[in-house]
Amino acid sequence: MITTQKYLRATTVGEAISLAREHDHSFRYLAGGTDVMVNKYQGNDESPVLIDISGLAELKNILATETRLVIGSLTTLHDLVANPLVNLHFPILAEAAASIAAPVIRKTATLGGNLLCENRCSYYNQSEWWRASAGRCLKCNGTVCLATGGGKKCFSKFVSDSAVALIALGASIEIYDGSQELKLPLEEIYSGDGVNSRSLSPTAIITAINVPLKVGAKAVYKKLRKRESLDFTSLTTTVYLDSQGKTRIVLGGVHAKPVVVDGDISGGVEELIRQTVSGSHLVDNDTYSKEYRREMITVLLNRSFQELTS
Amino acid sequence: MRPLTLKINGKLYHLMVGDHEMLARVIREKAGLTGTKVGCEQGSCGACTVLVDDKAVLSCITPAMRCDNTEITTIEALAVEGKLHKLQERFVEKGAVQCGFCTPGMVMTALSMAPTLENAGDPALLMRKVKEGLSGNLCRCTGYKKVIEAVAEYVTESRLSEKNTNYSAPVAKVPTGAVGRPRPYIDAEKKVKGAAAYADDIVSKNALQCKFLRSVHSHALITAIDFQEALQLPGVHYIATGRELPVKFGVLPISQDETAMAVEKTRYAGEIVAAVAADTEEIAVAACRLIKVKYQPIRAFLTIDDSLNDAGEDERIHNHGKFNNNIHKKAELRFGDQQQGLKDAEVTTRMVFEFDGVSHGFTEPHAATAYWDENGLTIITATQVPHYLHRALAKVMEVPLSRVRVIKPYLGGGFGGKSDPFAHEVIVAHLARKTGRTVRIRLTREEVFLTNHGRHPSRMTVEMGISRDGTMQVLDADVAIDGGAYGSFGVVTSYYNGVLLQAPYRLDNFGFRTYRVYTNKPQCGAMRGHGAVNSRFAVESLIDDLAQRIGMDPCMLRLRNFLDSNTFTVGHYRITSNGSRESLEKVMQRSRWRERIGKMEKGRGLGVACGFFISGSALPIIWNELPQSVVHLKLDFDGRVVITSGSSDIGQGSDTMLAIIVSEVLGIGMDKIFVLTADTLLTPVDFGSYSSRVTFMAGNAAKDAAENLKREIIEALVKKYYAMPEELNFVGDRVFSNDKTVDLDWGEAVDILTAGRGAVSVSGKYISPKLGGDFKGAGAGLSPSYSFGACIAEVAVDPETGYVKVTNIWGAHDCGKAINPLAVEGQLEGSWHMGTGQAISEQMKYYKGLLFNNSFLEYKIPTSLDTPEIHASIIETIDPEGPFGAKEAGEGAIHPVIPAIANAVYNAVGVRITSLPIQAEDILSKLKEKKMSSEKSQPS
Ligand SMILES: Cc1cc2nc3c(=O)[nH]c(=O)nc-3n(C[C@H](O)[C@H](O)[C@H](O)COP(=O)(O)OP(=O)(O)OC[C@H]3O[C@@H](n4cnc5c(N)ncnc54)[C@H](O)[C@@H]3O)c2cc1C
Ligand code: SF4
Ligand code: FES
Ligand code: FES
Repeated sequence: MITTQKYLRATTVGEAISLAREHDHSFRYLAGGTDVMVNKYQGNDESPVLIDISGLAELKNILATETRLVIGSLTTLHDLVANPLVNLHFPILAEAAASIAAPVIRKTATLGGNLLCENRCSYYNQSEWWRASAGRCLKCNGTVCLATGGGKKCFSKFVSDSAVALIALGASIEIYDGSQELKLPLEEIYSGDGVNSRSLSPTAIITAINVPLKVGAKAVYKKLRKRESLDFTSLTTTVYLDSQGKTRIVLGGVHAKPVVVDGDISGGVEELIRQTVSGSHLVDNDTYSKEYRREMITVLLNRSFQELTS
Repeated sequence: MRPLTLKINGKLYHLMVGDHEMLARVIREKAGLTGTKVGCEQGSCGACTVLVDDKAVLSCITPAMRCDNTEITTIEALAVEGKLHKLQERFVEKGAVQCGFCTPGMVMTALSMAPTLENAGDPALLMRKVKEGLSGNLCRCTGYKKVIEAVAEYVTESRLSEKNTNYSAPVAKVPTGAVGRPRPYIDAEKKVKGAAAYADDIVSKNALQCKFLRSVHSHALITAIDFQEALQLPGVHYIATGRELPVKFGVLPISQDETAMAVEKTRYAGEIVAAVAADTEEIAVAACRLIKVKYQPIRAFLTIDDSLNDAGEDERIHNHGKFNNNIHKKAELRFGDQQQGLKDAEVTTRMVFEFDGVSHGFTEPHAATAYWDENGLTIITATQVPHYLHRALAKVMEVPLSRVRVIKPYLGGGFGGKSDPFAHEVIVAHLARKTGRTVRIRLTREEVFLTNHGRHPSRMTVEMGISRDGTMQVLDADVAIDGGAYGSFGVVTSYYNGVLLQAPYRLDNFGFRTYRVYTNKPQCGAMRGHGAVNSRFAVESLIDDLAQRIGMDPCMLRLRNFLDSNTFTVGHYRITSNGSRESLEKVMQRSRWRERIGKMEKGRGLGVACGFFISGSALPIIWNELPQSVVHLKLDFDGRVVITSGSSDIGQGSDTMLAIIVSEVLGIGMDKIFVLTADTLLTPVDFGSYSSRVTFMAGNAAKDAAENLKREIIEALVKKYYAMPEELNFVGDRVFSNDKTVDLDWGEAVDILTAGRGAVSVSGKYISPKLGGDFKGAGAGLSPSYSFGACIAEVAVDPETGYVKVTNIWGAHDCGKAINPLAVEGQLEGSWHMGTGQAISEQMKYYKGLLFNNSFLEYKIPTSLDTPEIHASIIETIDPEGPFGAKEAGEGAIHPVIPAIANAVYNAVGVRITSLPIQAEDILSKLKEKKMSSEKSQPS
């Protein structure tokens, strides 16, 4: 009936990974746990083994080199918001972090955990009873998508707000998998499949986030949600513009992965915005309708460009 | 389970804890510190906030195992040696504590953020930071205003104080409780300390836990239930199904249509099909999973239209009723001549409105504990109406009324949502009888949403006509409301949607027709402002439109048409005191309406609306000859007056109200008063907390009782002294005659009273006068008095996103007389917060009969950041029959705020709102329509 539940605590990255390997398919890393514990409560996460990595002091530093800011993955969102280096170099990252959940949660929630926060959907973030009543969808081992009324591909929403800002800033992440250290552009860890939304070895640990320092670059962050606190995103946008006119647009909440469009504003922004809209894949799985959210992409992006160029 | 040592509030607890057990449960149930509350278990309400190594964390999503070698601080640690922490003091003083359920979490959150705010600069910035900091802590009672003030003041004070001490020097406070003086609730201190026990805080030795299996179909026959396997599970004691509890119940005698569990068929997804009593909740849950139910689905009726139409054979939701559809109740009343009214009207307007259902959103989930002993059944439960539950339990358990005792402990908010007898209460009573054990139940937040009884989704067509001079001529409403699967208060709701439109304006030609339909969804019932909130919205929107059409200021139009004081409405309501005019003038002045209307910057707008509400239903729900309220007072040798009353304080402060009234009449301090309420064994019957009746009715009964006690004292004194009874004064803990020949302190007077007689008990009562007309339906909405009020809202609308931000609410409410102005303000602020929610963000959304947004994350109660600045004004008209002139203040205030917001949106962007909540999508599409039609009308 109930498989033995375990709570284990790792004190080093190495230990965490070996504990994970020991429990192979049945574990979940716990950083802040603010996403995992809610998913457990709803029965969406049934991992019997929790490996708590929140004590790994080595992953909690923020330091600046000449070319980049290195942020330990266990930095809490609260600390990120308060950090002078972050505010100095990447105010939109602080802004993004401050737009996540609510103040008390941010004291526990980590940046690494936010990057890997599970995709969401109105039909999925529900109790077991609810999902059983509705008929299970693809993301809970069912055969069809309920949000699209029968689709065969899951487009649960990618909701990490900090990732949207970080990808726009050209961030890469450092990953350790026990044997080798990898460094990847952040966007590469998102698969685009709403069921298994990350293409990352399950035992891998994100150790740090690198954000390159660029002189003269600017960015604007926006988040659409019903309430001014607590709420997950219905649409997150970031527009980044460097001094040469190179721009990067990143969206969250409109696809199973972040939508990224690179370009140059010399060709006008309309085409870029159009590309972004067509790159998104919205389904009705949010408190706002998909039509509205699609329309808002253009509105928020236009505003962002205006703010950047005015 | 394994051993875990936790250090909580400096003390070591050696506990056995499950690896995945959450800290909140461990603190509450294993360490026994129930001051920490649990409102959602999903990190979205903040009630469970505690400090771990001085950092605020949500204990409901924190694994307990994570917390060894840490210092955990809970609310219980704050008060030291009986003295409140200064932050707690500010909460109490400012009136930031109403039901108190969110309070421990608020205090802990504020405590952890306070040091970071000490250099937050100017007061406005500080307020903003406090608002932000509290934005993950939901409060449904206060509208956050007083909470924010309390925290800001604490921060400011600690910034100024040199000695950084968190405890004040003890001051000898002699609490007095005169009518009209603002004062905190008598139980605020207990609540702010986390010492007040709510239903789920009550520990009982050796109790069993109950869990439910709920239907996965909206409408289905239950063809088989097999629970043999579940029963085998070790730790399972009993499994009950619907057949064991066949007796029907319901809050209204005319709608006894509900059974505790589905019998033979289930009428909504989420209805209880079986109940398990087991040693632990986990076992009960596991047992529920093993129960096998076979269903045979029937066509589900999910909308008003579905249910108005004829149903197929054997498809009806209930079999009573003459016709082959799912209409539960039809009602129609007409006064004057509407045809003539329409002819006389020079300008008419007609609109169709649609409203989604909304939920009370109280922060404390339902919970109950039941047991049977030599005295029969005792149930301790979160209820607003112990009396009606008492009756329902006797009926369903088939025992005499004398074998049932209902106790209401501290209650974490109701707003109408705890005022029916509930299935879970009946079921634990039954399980307790079957097992011979104490049985407990607590609902999850999702189950609270499934239990519903919230505001009815409604659709209505309303037409109104006026003459060009602004005189209202006619009003006609055609209303359909979606009742869900059972009756609840629905018949009353149906009537209220119509009858409560006959004021505050004079309307000679007025009529309505209402339908309530059954649908296969959780049932709707009474919610703050019961019945008339949606139809009031419609009428106030029409008035706004008419004002626009005749080019008259909407405030002026309203002022022209108000009913007077001391008059009758067309439907024979007796209006006594009436503060409509004063209320509207007040909000016009405070919002600077005249200076600002029509001159707002683009996208900003002001809107106005008025309202009125009953101050206690004049008729009882179950017809009987009992007075509506009875209050007993006992005075013994110690000089203490014990008030006993069946009324229930649900966070609105009615216990304090009773104490103030008795203290005023007897001229004694609150330290000589003890209030015992809402225990149907010990306290005399009071019908409960619904229809805004408690201050008016129980307050009057308390006043009557206190006067009777005063008379007894006077009689004893005049026997002993030569004094004229009318010359004896009761003031300041003394009894003295005008000439001071009698001059006694309270104790001496009490000695004289009790000499040779002992404790004296007296009784007081309230019986409503005979009111109303002589026609069918005349009883609906009759009240000995009515409250009146007005709101002006200011909004900012983003024309590109359709986002509506409500920035300010100026509200005024005629409560007759504010017995406790601090409490009245709290009620008003809470009402306007709740109304803002219904206006801009709250709605119950369904997917094939399944509630989508059954959590505090997805059901969008405004946070502190979404709640506008609220400016409350109390209007006092001294009602001739209210206690010291008092009327209701708990519900009526919600009526004007919602249409005021919608009218402000119209003022801002010219979009008329006809459905709630106001949706950004809707605003945008209407703006586009407008643009297109204005482009068309432009010559090209
Ligand atoms: C009420 C509420 C509102 C919320 N609102 C938002 C919101 O607006 N926006 C938003 O993005 N999120 C929101 N969240 C979700 C969550 O709080 C955040 O995403 C948070 O940042 C997650 O961080 P965590 O440290 O708690 O992650 P955890 O829950 O500990 O982990 C999340 C996932 O990441 C994995 N993980 C964590 N750290 C690492 C690592 N270093 N290496 C490898 N894997 C790792 C975990 O195994 C897990 O799969 C909300 C949550 C709640 C309860
Ligand atoms: S998008 Fe479809 S498949 Fe994916 S979680 Fe939602 S309903 Fe399920
Ligand atoms: S109970 Fe923990 S946040 Fe609601
Ligand atoms: S006082 Fe905040 S929820 Fe009741």
